[in-house]
Amino acid sequence: MSLFLTQLMNGIGNGAVYASLALALVLIFRTTGILNFAQGEMALYSTYLFWYFTDRGLPVVVAILAAMALSFIGGALVERVVIRPVEHSSPLVLVIVTIGLFLALNSIVQVQFGSDIKTNLPRAYPKHTWRPGNVQISADTLVLVGMLAVVCVLLYLLFQRTKIGLAMRAVASSSESARLSGVPVGQMLMFGWGLAAALGALAGVLVIPQIGLQASSMQSILVFSFAAAALGGFDSPVGAVVGGLIVGVAEALTTQYVHALNGIVLIVPFGLILGVLMVRPQGLFGRRTVERV
Amino acid sequence: MIAHRTEGSTSSRKLRFVALGTVLALAAAACGSNRGTSSTTTSKTPSSGGGATAPVVDTSGCPTANDTTGVSGDTITIGTSLPESGLYAAFTAILKGEKSYFSYMNAQGGIEVPAGSGKKYKINLIAKDDAYDAAKTVTNVNSLINDSKVFALFNTVGTKNNLAIRDTSDTQCVPDLLIASGAVQWGNPKFPWMLGSELVPYPLEMQTFVDYLLKNKPNATIAVLKANDDFGQSYADTLQALVKGTNLKIVQTQGYDPEGSDVKAQVTSLAATKADAFVIGGTLLACPNALNAMGDAGWKPIVYMSGTCVSKVLLGIAGKNAQGVLSVTSLLDPADPVNASNPAMQLYKAQVKKYAPDADTSDGIVAYGWTTAALFAKILSLSPKLDRGSVMNTAHTVSGVTGVGLQLAGSTWSTSASDRFIGETFQLINYDATAGHSNPVGPITDDNGKTAKLSPAVLLNS
Repeated sequence: MSLFLTQLMNGIGNGAVYASLALALVLIFRTTGILNFAQGEMALYSTYLFWYFTDRGLPVVVAILAAMALSFIGGALVERVVIRPVEHSSPLVLVIVTIGLFLALNSIVQVQFGSDIKTNLPRAYPKHTWRPGNVQISADTLVLVGMLAVVCVLLYLLFQRTKIGLAMRAVASSSESARLSGVPVGQMLMFGWGLAAALGALAGVLVIPQIGLQASSMQSILVFSFAAAALGGFDSPVGAVVGGLIVGVAEALTTQYVHALNGIVLIVPFGLILGVLMVRPQGLFGRRTVERV
Repeated sequence: MIAHRTEGSTSSRKLRFVALGTVLALAAAACGSNRGTSSTTTSKTPSSGGGATAPVVDTSGCPTANDTTGVSGDTITIGTSLPESGLYAAFTAILKGEKSYFSYMNAQGGIEVPAGSGKKYKINLIAKDDAYDAAKTVTNVNSLINDSKVFALFNTVGTKNNLAIRDTSDTQCVPDLLIASGAVQWGNPKFPWMLGSELVPYPLEMQTFVDYLLKNKPNATIAVLKANDDFGQSYADTLQALVKGTNLKIVQTQGYDPEGSDVKAQVTSLAATKADAFVIGGTLLACPNALNAMGDAGWKPIVYMSGTCVSKVLLGIAGKNAQGVLSVTSLLDPADPVNASNPAMQLYKAQVKKYAPDADTSDGIVAYGWTTAALFAKILSLSPKLDRGSVMNTAHTVSGVTGVGLQLAGSTWSTSASDRFIGETFQLINYDATAGHSNPVGPITDDNGKTAKLSPAVLLNS
């Protein structure tokens, strides 16, 4: 039983990371209808910034905030400079643009920061493992889950209680109508991308010190985050969180109990996506689009 | 969210499209870790008879006899393919060591081929990035052979990567020399144009650890973590063969996706077996991550870790969890202050500082690159003639090589027609986390000629 709970905690810890990145994917999908394949690499770049700042002697918390702020600006600029010109192109063009961004960012970090593994990443909190009744609960897991909870609350407040959130929701539901009502759609889209980038940055700086910083650190995480978002529904923040946790827990429990899938647990999110898309193409929590004939 | 959308049908189609795109992208990612394809070849099997002087490769079926492609004036152009980007980019450290050695030799006027002839050649090493993707290795190697016209392939990294190019190397008679992998397939008699480097062959690593356990804990239970590719499988398969007939018992084997390095769930599962011993058949970040997960679980087994992870940089990540970890090496540890006064070590540190100032000279991976380059130069200088067939035959028949690069004092490297492995003399080491370097355990092991006997035949000939 304690083993089951330990694996459950492992899964929830990873799931919180998938959920954070899935939330960023959902933020961008809701406002611009784009699947941002570069989301993971944007977070990777942010984490390299974080490493750069701490390497230059900045305190950890300051470095996190600075990386998030720069990521926000960077995300907004990416929307304005890279995405806006092709905004109304076919989905295929958008997919190709974000994949291009993915490859470009991955190469840029290696040129700019070097391709060696960065080992001296500080943590924002001391490493510790609690063992109540033989169940392992690491500080990593608690911090990741706590971060996810705080982010969810802040996003909820932003979208439901502020004017800017209202404007973003308006853009998400119909950019044409929003524009006619005087909402600065362009600025809202930039804000959405900036927010997603900052969110990815936070996930990156918290999780990467646990697995090591190198150019491909975010890639397998991105695969699981896409699985989470597809599972929960690309337009549902709640779905992203639930999907992330389901994928993380499924991954850990498969490793523990399904020895036949040894080493190919990637098949689990895969199977989940396929199953869900076949039964509910909009995802578990996604809204079905209704058409008036 | 509002359900009525003016562009309802478009966005529904869009959603379906992107969902399809996601599935395709995931499929691509999942298939990225393709395993080396098995293959057959009919041409140019080694000549029968064996013996130290009989040629191992037969060039009669080659496209050109006495092929000197890649030798131009006083320059020999050689090529390598390795991960300079992606998850395995840390292996770029190998290239830094290699380039430092060749730059150093070139500055001395070059390598004399054959030794005593007075004719010196400079080495021009062309490196191509394959991100550890075997498909890219194939592209790189085709380009190196056909466009860059390299004389030989040198220290190309990865088990599945070299398996993927062996048909090319074999049919075109291009030496694939000093492969950066300890897999036993390099001893497959069907592919004489390949030879592994001085890395300790993986079966010898397992043999050494099994011997250690039989001596110190003969009834030990063993838990195994392996990378889910040809590399990790080499450890798992040979260990399984070696424990047969002993009281050692493998209680659980967990694989991890080599495209990632998160092994927490796997190690949690292994730790629950409370096995006495833990074998890590992984590489790079998976090694320290496995050690950290083991520490988190409060599990204290006797740990054996792949020799490919012997690096101060990697073990530093694991901190005190790396205390006492066992492994093997065929090289002097550049992080150990005991070696600081060794002239070979001083030369290595001075030259790497000069030619690759950004490299960490205390990193064992850089030291490996340096030593492999020195071994390549040694083989060239021993070759009676400078053509592909002669150099390949020389590589297969070196005997009693000592003092190359950072080769361990007291170790000798030999090959023969019946023994296709170099790194068979090595040192069992354990890691001292406080001091940040490894210490030798017992004397040097000399397993010369034993690799082929210890390897499961099915693996050797695969």
